[in-house]
Order: sequence, then structure tokens, then C-alpha cells
Amino acid sequence: MLHKEQNENLSRRRFLKIMAAGAAGAVIVSCTTPGATDEGEEGGSASTDTIRVAWGGAPSVLDPSQASADVEIAFLNAIYDYLIDTDADNTLVPRLATDWEVNEEGTVYTLTIAEGVTFHNGDPLTLDDVMWTLERLGSDESSAADLFGIIETMEADGNTLTITLSEPDADFLYTLADNRALILQANAEDIGNSFNGTGPFRLVEYITEDRAILEANPDYFAGAPTVGGLEFIYFPDTEAAVNALRSGTVDSVLRLDNPTFLGLSEEDLYQAVDVATNGHDLVRLRADREPGSDPNVRLAFKHATDRQAVFERVQLGFGALGRDNPIGPLYSRYYTEAFALPEHNPEMARQLLADAGYPDGLEMTLFVPNAPGRPELAQVLASQWAEAGINVTIEVQEESVYYGDDGWLEVDLGITPWGSRPIPQFYLDVAYKSGAMWNEAHFSDEELDALIEEAGATTDEAERVGLYEEIQRILIERGPVIIPYFFASFGVFAENVSGVAVHPFPGRTNFNNAVLA
Amino acid sequence: MDNIQRIVQGVLRFIRQLFGDPQTAVGTTIVLLFLFLAFFGNALAPYGANETGDIPVSAAPSTQHPFGTDTLGRDVFSRVMIGTSSIFQKAGLGTLLAVLIGTVIGLYIGYQGGWIDEATSRVIDALLAMPALLLALVILGVIRNLSLEQGSLQFLLARNSVLLVIAVVYVPIVARVVRSSTLEIKTREFVQAARIRGESLGYILFREIFPSVVPTLVVEASLRFSYAIFLVAALGFLGIGANPPTPDWGLMVEEARGGNYNIAPWALNFPAAAIALLVVGVNLMSDGIKNIVQKSE
Repeated sequence: MLHKEQNENLSRRRFLKIMAAGAAGAVIVSCTTPGATDEGEEGGSASTDTIRVAWGGAPSVLDPSQASADVEIAFLNAIYDYLIDTDADNTLVPRLATDWEVNEEGTVYTLTIAEGVTFHNGDPLTLDDVMWTLERLGSDESSAADLFGIIETMEADGNTLTITLSEPDADFLYTLADNRALILQANAEDIGNSFNGTGPFRLVEYITEDRAILEANPDYFAGAPTVGGLEFIYFPDTEAAVNALRSGTVDSVLRLDNPTFLGLSEEDLYQAVDVATNGHDLVRLRADREPGSDPNVRLAFKHATDRQAVFERVQLGFGALGRDNPIGPLYSRYYTEAFALPEHNPEMARQLLADAGYPDGLEMTLFVPNAPGRPELAQVLASQWAEAGINVTIEVQEESVYYGDDGWLEVDLGITPWGSRPIPQFYLDVAYKSGAMWNEAHFSDEELDALIEEAGATTDEAERVGLYEEIQRILIERGPVIIPYFFASFGVFAENVSGVAVHPFPGRTNFNNAVLA
Repeated sequence: MDNIQRIVQGVLRFIRQLFGDPQTAVGTTIVLLFLFLAFFGNALAPYGANETGDIPVSAAPSTQHPFGTDTLGRDVFSRVMIGTSSIFQKAGLGTLLAVLIGTVIGLYIGYQGGWIDEATSRVIDALLAMPALLLALVILGVIRNLSLEQGSLQFLLARNSVLLVIAVVYVPIVARVVRSSTLEIKTREFVQAARIRGESLGYILFREIFPSVVPTLVVEASLRFSYAIFLVAALGFLGIGANPPTPDWGLMVEEARGGNYNIAPWALNFPAAAIALLVVGVNLMSDGIKNIVQKSE
């Protein structure tokens, strides 16, 4: 049973691994057994003002260039620093980089790096460390190579780093804020087992599949954390993590499924926090062959779907309603409701199917990965579509089967969870452009391709807003996708905890300002 | 005519005996009740299995919805009723299939003996060495990943995979039981006589030996049936026995557990209770049958 990890993030990780393995066909998940690295002089055990955070799952990869799951990023985010952080609203926030400038073309990025930063081993942070890390991220062994590979040259001058790109990239600052872009010490060895960062917490002890014990770094450049320590405790599943919260053995649980969160929030014993994300379930129909190649059929699916009912039954009202495109309300600058969605109208759907040459409706198989909430989504959709004469057989597959052998890219009708990203361009580049690696709907639309291309290159924000609006119009009108909702990200805290802002990507939640009353 | 009368009388006596013992009577009543639901549950259910319409979600049990509704707004009472037929189809027909095949194999190898018996018995031993659930998981894992082309043989296999799995898992057990009875019966005089008369193999197996095996077989079949119900429910719970939105009891339990249990506990409790009740009923009945058979021997 794959109930250990819950939703979109696991899937993304699988994608990455599957893609990385490529033609070799062998998916090698390195099972690192990281040991404690800190020299142990501090030794100390968890003090009373340690905040204990429970996860339903344990890290498997702790090399920053390969990590992807929330629980892995959370661990690394405590020990290392990003150059640029993102906050709960997806806004860029300074971290090691205190200031930045971009030239008009979007090709030269100039960063000012904080001074007086030291690694946990006492060595000062230099620009060599930063450059070494970015180079490593762009190398072939890194799963972020596609993002960082566009760095052409890097130049250090005092505490100013100038990065020149080989092509314009308006979103490069978000690349620097990527989950994997944690700054290591140059020529660090045994990465993933030994952890020497500049971050707010230092590792005391790491026990595989059990817990990570961290203590506050008193020399942290942005000020020592308000808590004395941080402990990540790894449970086999969410249920066990929630039980630990109930019994008082932990102070917080991050990453929960909708019904579990609803249950906890109704108990009134905890602080239950939900934040909007842009993660979503993508319901898509292959557009390169029958029946999805007919625009009338695609429109019929849209008319057959009651998004509000799906949102209420599957998301239990958490998150946001979707509008059949990946640019959600979280991207408030780009999100628009200017274009009307095809209304829920089974009769019209039936008519459209008849026009497309299916007077007796359609018989199809709907493939869905076995992750919490997804079989439910499939069932709600199946019963709605049946009213319009679209009869689907639901095929629930274990995630390893769904993503294995690229089955998810092949099937005619499928549901794929997509994780939250800080910018919309990511989705468009990898899943909506003709021939893109993860274009699972096999949609190919010249007008859309041109718009995506332009939006990725322009640094003119106003122009970009216009381009994204057009993209939303096209996907709503003729896209082969239904996005019924965007998820929420959840955190539940004991009453005495404050100062923690849950991040849309739970693993990026910072704990250095946590307060235990 | 005489023969038929004797059989009818025998069956009537058997039923009288079933209801003669209070425990057995309770068990038999439960099983008959569920059997009735298996045939008429679909027609009697107040709502469709996947009807959502205006039904409230996660509603507590009420007169409108005696078992409440699940998180997707489906009537649990109706789903349990409708689901009865699927459990009888899978566990019942699967057991029947296992008994049929197992009996033929058991009679044949028991009567023939020699190397056929030796070889088949070792295969049976090997199959029995594996836990039923594990064997079922392996078989289902293979069948389920076959390509699903509608109308193809694979599709038919996948559709009835659980039924087939029950049959495959229980054939060796039934065959072994029948074989050991046959070994004893074939030495009796009436079998020897039939052989000397020059009767055909089929006649000896089914007209001479089989009637004497029936009592043992009935006990074994009822016992297998109760295990089969459990196995079907377990496979449904593990998510490989039935595809949603089938109102399979095991699948219903799986769907209602975890976070959903906090919101709609009745959606788990009632199907779970139905599984337990049916298994208890079948076990009580099968105990009774065993007692009756032993008494008459």
C-alpha cells in the first residue's frame, strides 16, 4: 500500500526519477543511510523548547540536487540556506542573497550575498561555495540540470555574484529559489550523508526512518532561531502522525489529506491552518487520437463536469475551484475569471457527442493512481459523466504501475496529480507545449505554443499578463484538460505553537521563528 | 420415482436437522437472509449503488438513510444490500467452481493412484504451502496488468479475476480432502464389484464413489465458503478485488477508513459488520452441517 506519502509530491518525485533513469530503464533509488555529522562535541539532547514536527513518511534521498519530497526538503531547508526563499504567497524573499538585479533582457542576474555567514563547521561562506553549488546543480547528475544548465558564466566580485544565462529566462530568480537550490560548501564530500550547512539548525543525530534531531545554530547569520531545537519525527503514515499529535508526542503535523484535516479542524483542540497552493488534479483526454481529437468531444467532457460538486465532495471545500488550466488563483497577477467556463449541462454534452459521431455516448476506461482522494475524484466524475452518456470504467492503479513504463502518458483518459510550483510557466513548458516531455494529453496547438514561448521569454510583466490570459482562454475553450480544483496545503499545530507559517509546499515551511508557549 | 422421493425426504430431514439446533438455526437464517439480498437486494435497495443526486454527504444514520451516507453522498444501506450479490457471486461461485474442479481431480487421483496421484499430490502440496492471500495477490497481480481489450479473453479473465482466484486457491484443498475419502472408499466391496462388472471409469467415480464423498464435501464446501468471503473482502480492502465504484464490502471499508472515518464512521462500520455477520453465519451453519454429517455416519 502506498499510503506513506500522500499526493502530488510523491508523484513528482517519481516523474523525476523515471525521467532521470531514462533509456537505461533502471530506476535506482539510492537508499542512503545518513549518519550524524556534527562532530558531536555539542552532543546535546533535545531541550524542552524543541519543536517536534511529525511527517507521514521518511526521507529517502538527502542529496539536495536529488531531493524532492516534502520531508526531504524540510530536513535540508533547516540545515542549509537558499539564496532566495519564497513565502506562503509565493513572493520572493531574501535569504543568503540580500538583494538582486536583473537586466532588461533577462539574461544577466546580479546578486548581493550576505556577509558574515559561516558554515556549521566554522568556515566562512564564500562566493566560491555559491558558484560551486550552482555548477553542481547544473551538472548532468543533478535532477535540476534542465533549470540550472542555462547558466553560462558566473563572476564573483567582493560579495556580488553576476550570473549570465545562455538564453533569456524571466523566471530565473524562481530557479534560484527552487527546492533543490540549497547552498553547500565548495567541494563538500559525502553529500547526502554528511551535512554541513549555513542554515538555522545543526544536525545532532539522524536515525534513518525514525527521526532527525536538530539544535538551533546560535551563529545563524539572520539571528539564532527562537526555539532551542527542531525534531522531525518520521511515521509510516499520516494516521500514525496524527495519533502522535493527539497523544502529545509531537507539536505539529504537516501534509495531511482533506478528510483527516477536516476531522482535526473540527475538534477545536488544535490550530488547523490551510493555505492555497497551485497543486491540482489534471483530468485529461488524449487529443491526438479518437475520440479526444474531436474538439466537440473535449467540450462534451467539460459540459458533463460539475466542478463545484467535485470540489465540495472531493476537496471538502478546501483549496480553490479550478478553471481547466494550470494558472490558478495563487498566481493572482495572472489568474483571470474573464472567460466563462463551459457550464454544467449533460444534455448539451450529449448533443456535442452526437455531433461528433457518438450518438450512443462513449465507453472509456479512466485510469487513476491510488493516492488519497483520487479514486474518489474518479467516482464523482464517473457518475457525473454517466448523465451525459460518457460511461467510464475506473481502473485504479498503484502509483508505481500508473507511472511505470510511461503508462500515464499513453492512456486515453487519466487523472494525474500535479504539485504546486511557484510560477505557472513550469506547467506550460513541460505539459502543454507540443511535444513537451510530460504533455500527457498530447495536445498540439500552434497558437498556444507561440504564446507559451513568448511568455517564457518576456520580462515585461504587463505583456506577460496578457499572454497568460490568452493561454487561459485557449485551454478553457478547446483544451483537452479539466482541472476541477487546486489543493490546499495543511498544517496542524498544538495550541502552544506560534510563529510558523505553513508554506504551499509544506517542506519549505520555516521553523526558525517558531515559539513554544 | 422411489429415488426422487428418497432424495426429497433426505433433504427435508437435513433442513429439519439444520433448524433443530438453535446455533445452526441462527447461522442458517443469517445465510438465507443474505442469500435473499443477493438475489433481490438490487431491486429492494431504496437508492442506486452510485446514486448521489440530492443525497447529503456524510449524513449520520437516520430513517431516510438507515446506515447513513458516505463522504461522496451515497446511501450506505443501499450499497451494503446491493453489494451482497457481488460477495455471493465471487465467494459463492468461486467456491462452487473450486468444489467442482477439486472433486473431479480428487476422485480421479484418489482412485487411480500410482504416479499420477504422486505427481498431482506434490503439486497440491506445493500450492498448499503458500498462504491463500499471498497466492491470490500474486495471481491477481498478473491478471490485472494484462492489457484490457474489451471482449478479449484477458478482459474476461480480469473481469472475473477474483472468482477465478478463489477457485484456484481452493481447488488443491478440496482435491486433497476428496482424495483422502476416495482412498478409503475405493477399497470397499461395492467399488470392487463395479470394477469386476467392467463399469467405465466415469461410472465408478461418479455413481459409485461420489455419493459416499458428498457428506464430507458439503462440510468442506461450507467451510471454504466462509473463508472465501473473508478472502474476497480482504482483496477488496487491499484495493485489488474490485474497481470503484463497485459496492464491494471490502472496498467500502477501504474507502471509508483513514481520515474519512472521522467524518463518516458509519460508512465503515456497516459494511464491516455485514462481512462479520455473514462470516459468523456461514461458520455457525457449517458447524451444524458437520455435526449432522458426523451423527449420520
